[in-house]
Amino acid sequence: MPKLLVTRPQYDLTTRYLFYWSTLYMQFAKQKGFQVLDLDGKRANRKELTSIIKKIKPQLICFNGHGNYDLITGQDGEILVKTKDNESLLVGAIINMLSCGSGKLLGPACLQKGALVFIGYQESFIFYYNNEETSNPLNDNRAKLFLEPANVTIRSLLKGHTAKEAYEKSQNLYSQNIQKLLASNSPEAYLARYLIWDMRHQVCLGNQNVSL
Amino acid sequence: MQNTKKQDQIKELVVARLQSIPSNASISIGMEGNFNRAQLIKHVEDEDEIGKKITQVELEYLKALKEGVLYAQTPCY
Repeated sequence: MPKLLVTRPQYDLTTRYLFYWSTLYMQFAKQKGFQVLDLDGKRANRKELTSIIKKIKPQLICFNGHGNYDLITGQDGEILVKTKDNESLLVGAIINMLSCGSGKLLGPACLQKGALVFIGYQESFIFYYNNEETSNPLNDNRAKLFLEPANVTIRSLLKGHTAKEAYEKSQNLYSQNIQKLLASNSPEAYLARYLIWDMRHQVCLGNQNVSL
Repeated sequence: MQNTKKQDQIKELVVARLQSIPSNASISIGMEGNFNRAQLIKHVEDEDEIGKKITQVELEYLKALKEGVLYAQTPCY
């Protein structure tokens, strides 16, 4: 049975949004017959991550959380993976990181140590949200414009598409959302510039032809 | 002197754009935090790291429009 590992810290508004929006692809993964390993909240820590990866060896690992060029964090900002530290933990896996900047240094470092492919962002991942929907992030249509393209890479991989196809699916969905905003006279048209930012800083590194 | 004038013009443009953000909208910029319209405008006017980032977003947007990249599929590598 193929395995998906997800880290889902939840300790501020940003991680709260990522936490809820990842439930959609986790449900999809289960429908597709994947075993889903959920490191949610306090379980999104380095010790549990290391233990699960060494024991279970998931094929697809999806990180959600704050990050920087050289690291990704879990609950309460605890560093989960960092360059020149434990990036070899991700050997043999397909990696998706929804966090700021980790595509710049951490992604390439993981690939050097044997990860198959890395999809993530080389600069800040930015999204807008509706202040009136923060208690119900999945109802937030503003955040949806950002988080749906960000997470469609995972759905695509779960369907068996290659990393390149998953990345292109995401880029196309960003592009569609941008064009819809610019073509209409929507008061939400200001969002286009931030979608362009995320789209342009998303990267797919490593073996483009790899699939689950 | 000319550079300062250009920077001021860019700042003015960015602030004008930010004025169109609805009052119920806030932005998440990762570890740097979450901000509403008024806070973003202050950061841009202060020219701090957040302000510079928002300015960079605007400049990249203008560049993308000029390049017509919205109508081309972005290659991956």
